[in-house]
Amino acid sequence: MAIIQASNLVKTYKNPDESSKYFNAVDGISLSIHPGEIYGILGPNGAGKTTTLEMLEGLKDIDSGTAFINSINVKDNPYQVKQIIGVQLQANEYFDKMTLAELLNLFSALYSLSNDPLELLKKVNLADKANANANELSGGQKQRFSIACALVNNPLVLFLDEPTTGLDPQAKRSLWDLILDLNKMGMTIVLTTHNMEEAEILCQRIAIMDYGKIIAEDTPQNLILQYAPDKVREVLNGNMEDVFIALTGHGLRD
Amino acid sequence: MFNSPQKYLTKVFIQIFLRNKQYIIFSLILPIVILSIVGLSNGETDPIDIGLVNNSESNLSSQFIDQLTAGNLFNVIRGDEDSLRGDLINGDIMIVLIIPEEMSDQIQTTNITLLVDKSQIQFLQTIEPILSQSFLSIEREITGNDPMFNLVIEDVKSRTQSYIDFLLPGIMAFMLMNLSIAGSGFNVVEFRRRGILKRLFVTPIKPIDFVIAIVIARMVIVLGQLSIIFGFALFVLEANIIGSIFDLYICIIFGVLMFLTLGFSLGSLAKTQESVGVLATLFIYPQLILSGVFFPLETLPEFIQPFAQLLPLSLLADAMRSIASDGLNLIEVYMNFIGIGVWILIGTLISTKLFVWKEVAG
Repeated sequence: MAIIQASNLVKTYKNPDESSKYFNAVDGISLSIHPGEIYGILGPNGAGKTTTLEMLEGLKDIDSGTAFINSINVKDNPYQVKQIIGVQLQANEYFDKMTLAELLNLFSALYSLSNDPLELLKKVNLADKANANANELSGGQKQRFSIACALVNNPLVLFLDEPTTGLDPQAKRSLWDLILDLNKMGMTIVLTTHNMEEAEILCQRIAIMDYGKIIAEDTPQNLILQYAPDKVREVLNGNMEDVFIALTGHGLRD
Repeated sequence: MFNSPQKYLTKVFIQIFLRNKQYIIFSLILPIVILSIVGLSNGETDPIDIGLVNNSESNLSSQFIDQLTAGNLFNVIRGDEDSLRGDLINGDIMIVLIIPEEMSDQIQTTNITLLVDKSQIQFLQTIEPILSQSFLSIEREITGNDPMFNLVIEDVKSRTQSYIDFLLPGIMAFMLMNLSIAGSGFNVVEFRRRGILKRLFVTPIKPIDFVIAIVIARMVIVLGQLSIIFGFALFVLEANIIGSIFDLYICIIFGVLMFLTLGFSLGSLAKTQESVGVLATLFIYPQLILSGVFFPLETLPEFIQPFAQLLPLSLLADAMRSIASDGLNLIEVYMNFIGIGVWILIGTLISTKLFVWKEVAG
């Protein structure tokens, strides 16, 4: 039984250029994600990845369609859903003048829980920064800290929105290790990314989104077999980047 | 009602504020400086610098000059017309009086020329009656006529009230408005812009939890700040409070609520930090002039007065002044409380209608 079950999700916005017209940022997406899976959503900028995540997380209204997380209807019980999920957002800014330990205590309190902030910081390798301010952290440390914040409620499902964007290779790899560790402990992880290598290494299944729709969904291996150009596939050198370009084209997005 | 996430968030908001030492100091400096200036000068006006050119050698003119110098209303600077004209243009003196050569002891009308700078028109309206009055009394003294009327001014309130006593409730109301608006409108827009609100709403807290926490935290902070100002005025400047201090604090609590909800409305209307700044300026400055904080409402043009009385700051400042200076109690200012209640309602409606909590990322 799927832990996340979404069918025909739609999110409609006003067209920023012509306010009388509307467009579907998310256009009838259906997902079925299994417990313990790392599921990746790939797509160019503006494909609707973040909007899809935010609808599942109860942060944005679902205009039509349904979503269930652990059999809880997101539309009807967003607060119940929020109790069992952890979310790392693209923007990770926090209140000024608070230490990491204080911020973790705050986030725990918002779930009416109490945690040892040091334990959480150890998990993400930031124990020595317990008394630092969030704005003193490097990019990689910030991302790891925002995952620590997402873990305060020991969530069943962890949502990560472009967790490694802007990180150097070392920071990126240390974050991948963290994600794999969390997954080994049984956490279901849903992540969005632009990074093909990341999708290939981390994800058991991948959905490729473009213009608000899922245009392909399978294991990385099957996607490569199916979509990578013949020549590449034959020499068995194909990777997810070949699949991505083959499906979404070469044109630049914003 | 007050659950543990709310309590924790309230504590955090207060904690963040207390760590911002620079803001605390700056928010207290201005009101303390204004009160100190007023309190230490005790509301007395400085003598007005006027220039005097005497072209006459008659007794009458020297008598006239003696009279003019005798009072403490004017500081008379004598000189020739050209140099005083220069002083007038430079703004060093307000007016120049020129006594003509033909001023003599005979009873006849003497034209005394008054050189003025028209840009000081406001000031002129004040000084003209004073001058005419001075001329009249000088004339009477010289001609030996007894005045037919003498105006005796009696204060029916019959208590010692200085300008600071008039100013204190108004300044407190004004400061309360600034602090509350800054603490709600600006905070919300800033938290939204930086994605902090969104991060909070990833957790199971509800918008109402956030609002309750920020309102209570701001209430505690503003009450603390006002108490410091109030204590300074009472104990250092020895201001008088006639009414009940408890009643005054009830006014303050409702005032903070009113401006916090109105601040949330401004924060909901504005999408960016820049536009909330402009909106707050549009909200604050007209009220500074129109609400009778520094000048009585009666000095405003008549057609504005009925509207001015309904402004949030007018309602609050008037209620606070009625209690602090006139010794009224809460029941006697119930009309103000009705007005404040209506503003709280308007603020709550606008902010809940316009603030799209689901789209907190903007």
